[in-house]
Amino acid sequence: MSELVARSPVGRMCRAYPEAWRQPTILLLLAAAALLFPIYHSNDADIDALANAFAFATLALGLNIVVGFAGLLDLGYAAFFAIGAYTYGVLNSFQLHPAWSDSWNFAQTLGLVAQMPGETGGEVVHFTLSFWIALPLAALVSAFFGVLFGFPTLRLRGDYLAIVTLGFGEIVPIIFRNWDSLTNGAAGLNGIAAPRFWGHSFGVDATPYYYVAVALVALLLFVSARLRDSRIGRAWMAIREDEIAAGAMGVNRVHYKLLAFATGAAFAGMTGVFYVAKLQTATPDMFVFNVSIMILVMVVFGGMGSIWGVVVGAMVLQLLQSWWLQDLTGWLNALGNLVGSNWLSHINLVPSIELIFGIILVVMMLYRREGLIPASSAPTGLTFEQQNATVNLAEQDIRLPGIGGTASSGAIALRVKGVTVRFGGLIALNAIDLEVPQGSVVAVIGPNGSGKSTLFNVMTGLVPAGGGSIRFHGDEILGLPDHAILKKGIARTFQNIRLFPTLSIMQNLLIGQHARLRTGALAAVLHPKWSRREEAAAQDWVREILKVFGNRLTPRIDQAVSGLSYANRRRTEIARALASRPKLLLLDEPTAGMNPAETLELAGQIKKLKELGLTVLLIEHKLDVVTTLADTVYVLDHGEVIAKGRPDEVRRDEEVLRAYLGRNTQAALAGGAEVGAHVA
Amino acid sequence: MTVFDLWLQQAINGLSLGAMYALLALGFTLVYGILELINFAHFNIFMIGSFVAMWVLQSFGLSGQSVVLTGLPLVGVLLAALIASMLFAGVLGAAMERYALRPLRGITGPAAMITTIGISYILFNIVVLGIGADSKNFPNPLPPMKWHLGGPDGAVLELRQVLIWAVSIILMGGLWVFVQRSRMGKAMRATAQDPEAARMMGVEVDKVILIAFFLGSALAGAGGMIFGLYYNFTSFIIGFTAGLRAFTAAVLGGIGNVPGAMVGGVLIGLIEAFGGQLIGASWADVIIFSILVLVLVFKPTGLFGRLAPTKS
Repeated sequence: MSELVARSPVGRMCRAYPEAWRQPTILLLLAAAALLFPIYHSNDADIDALANAFAFATLALGLNIVVGFAGLLDLGYAAFFAIGAYTYGVLNSFQLHPAWSDSWNFAQTLGLVAQMPGETGGEVVHFTLSFWIALPLAALVSAFFGVLFGFPTLRLRGDYLAIVTLGFGEIVPIIFRNWDSLTNGAAGLNGIAAPRFWGHSFGVDATPYYYVAVALVALLLFVSARLRDSRIGRAWMAIREDEIAAGAMGVNRVHYKLLAFATGAAFAGMTGVFYVAKLQTATPDMFVFNVSIMILVMVVFGGMGSIWGVVVGAMVLQLLQSWWLQDLTGWLNALGNLVGSNWLSHINLVPSIELIFGIILVVMMLYRREGLIPASSAPTGLTFEQQNATVNLAEQDIRLPGIGGTASSGAIALRVKGVTVRFGGLIALNAIDLEVPQGSVVAVIGPNGSGKSTLFNVMTGLVPAGGGSIRFHGDEILGLPDHAILKKGIARTFQNIRLFPTLSIMQNLLIGQHARLRTGALAAVLHPKWSRREEAAAQDWVREILKVFGNRLTPRIDQAVSGLSYANRRRTEIARALASRPKLLLLDEPTAGMNPAETLELAGQIKKLKELGLTVLLIEHKLDVVTTLADTVYVLDHGEVIAKGRPDEVRRDEEVLRAYLGRNTQAALAGGAEVGAHVA
Repeated sequence: MTVFDLWLQQAINGLSLGAMYALLALGFTLVYGILELINFAHFNIFMIGSFVAMWVLQSFGLSGQSVVLTGLPLVGVLLAALIASMLFAGVLGAAMERYALRPLRGITGPAAMITTIGISYILFNIVVLGIGADSKNFPNPLPPMKWHLGGPDGAVLELRQVLIWAVSIILMGGLWVFVQRSRMGKAMRATAQDPEAARMMGVEVDKVILIAFFLGSALAGAGGMIFGLYYNFTSFIIGFTAGLRAFTAAVLGGIGNVPGAMVGGVLIGLIEAFGGQLIGASWADVIIFSILVLVLVFKPTGLFGRLAPTKS
């Protein structure tokens, strides 16, 4: 199908158009169409329907940040819509009317309140907060509640998050229904004033609301796109793809999850203000569970994580409800009258919209999970040229400034003292002492289950220690969260590769730099010069690091890592760790699953990193790798260090032989010089 | 009524509600224990179960409280309605698993959960469109037998409450024996522990999952009938609140833990009854939901522990 389009004259014409101009042209055409619509089509009801559709598009954009970017399934999103709506409704209606006193004078001069005669005599306060102030204010209030509701859900698994948010979504309308004095209960707030613009009231004409809605969609699309392509968006996607890896790469999960909740809630809060201003009433029933589900359907239908997708999804479903189902009903009724079918002439399709929503959810999940317009994801396939490229590992002039730190060689970089880890009754690590001198390669070996990976996990904050101390360049790091440890300069890889699978090599390595970059949410949206320069430098750094692996990774830089070969995924994970400019690199079985040639290649590259000044702590089973690389070897068994020394010393150690081969074989292998090969 | 009688009355009411929540909670726990999936369709399978029971009772010529039966006809009619609602709900749940969830097995992310939300929504709207949004009278053929505890002014224990307890205890006892004693029950427990290992030991994991859905949904169907008998009405809307409360019960008891779900259900029923008495019925959902959040935050494994709902 797409092939046909591409070959048609239209397709050829499109290709002739310069690629750089395509997107701006489409945007311009869309904007022109949106702006001109009320002029050439002056039907008020249609304009109103479109304004509503735009309002739902902004809601879908907000939920997309939470669900699509950060992967947090929120089933109570309408709560924030309600909070924004009521913020404006309460502050711009006759609901609250405290007795007038002089302390209100200042607010009156600002135009926030007005004086009016009360029903029981005396003067009372009438709140008259401007629509334009209410928009940012409601965004802030909703964002606050986003953080508040998000907080208890932080540690929960995705599915529990769904049910807790569902509960919050259920509770907020209940509170609005029961809190009569603030919200006028189930009857709702009435008499909310229409917005004014330069002294002109919007009144009941749909057109000014339409333009506000267009502006809101444009603004939130812009904000969403900027956030998505920034350090912030990458942090969200990292959390979505693999939370543990995200933390290990320096992403503060608590911070970024709350930021996602707050941003999404802020979008909903603004939309709530708009919606209430347009209807000039707010009742609890406007924000029930069904609304949350409707917005979720829009996001799922359009494509989770795809900003244009969710806008299109929201518009299509809204217009389906307000235009197309009605048209279709009309046609069917006419047809029924024509053929004399009583059933057909009275059928009404409009109420079936929610049934359609349910069917859309199921059908999309079964047959098209990426949605109508999938989020632009990195390609997974390789071109013929890429597959057949000759491997070129020729020595290049690689310098990786900032890697390894500035401490003088030989000083103790990492000192582990008396670290103990218990899992229930099992002692995984028992009073471990270990030292890693600056600029050296230290290897940890030991049989399976001896506690090697636990040692890495306790060093990187994944597992709490029951006692002891870990000092890194003099600073205690035990008890620090994982992202803070990365920031100190310890980066790691995982035994069973934890990359961000749908993201490209470039994105994976940019996430690796997360802790070294400064662009925050505001800078991501505003794009000041320093932030653009920082981003460009970060991308240059990625290309620099990939040179370590010759031309293994560079040609695949924009490929999704899930499509890479096993060995290349291992390399990418090491590169991602290097991207964080570590002083100490922890490699957990880097050559596991690699063939002998690949193993040799990687050993050479690790050696190269050492020459560049990097300190390396290595878990490895292949003793030939250990012998070539390590300056010092620690042998772990049953959670204790049973031997320590130069590789050749350790290979002859009797304790080590016993641990690896058992008591009886020890005699048979007296001398033990050949142990290495067998152990591997 | 003295204060003591009032409390006794709430205890009786709470235990009846609790029995219903426990039946519903078991369905959540069975499915979650094996698939780690929150089955949102469970809410409305329960609702449909109550409609099926209503239709069966109506088909015997019963409506509202017009006809009162006793003896064998009463038992027969109730048993027919119970079996029909359980079978219908069970088949519905199993069909959903087979055709909508099995194709998504092994896909990470929220796809399966979103599918259950979609199915729940479909069931809900089929009932709204096909039957109507008004609540329906649920036939009550029980004789108006009641016992006064503590004098004529005291708490009242009705026959239907005794019946609800009896049915719930028999069903839950049956499930317990099935899970603990039968071959399939053993396979189910093994699958809940480690589906891969169970598969390699020859357990037909797909069949186990199908049966878990069938059983859980059938219990929800029974719960739906109990709802109708207890409140004398049914409506498209009942699934949502009851479902959320039952889910809270499952979490409170430790999700994946079968006896935990039973105890959790009873506790939630009591909390609803006493909380409604103390603070006002319109806040009942706020109280119950606050419990859900508090348990998840402070004791994520629930009272009796099993699968932890927090990330490891």
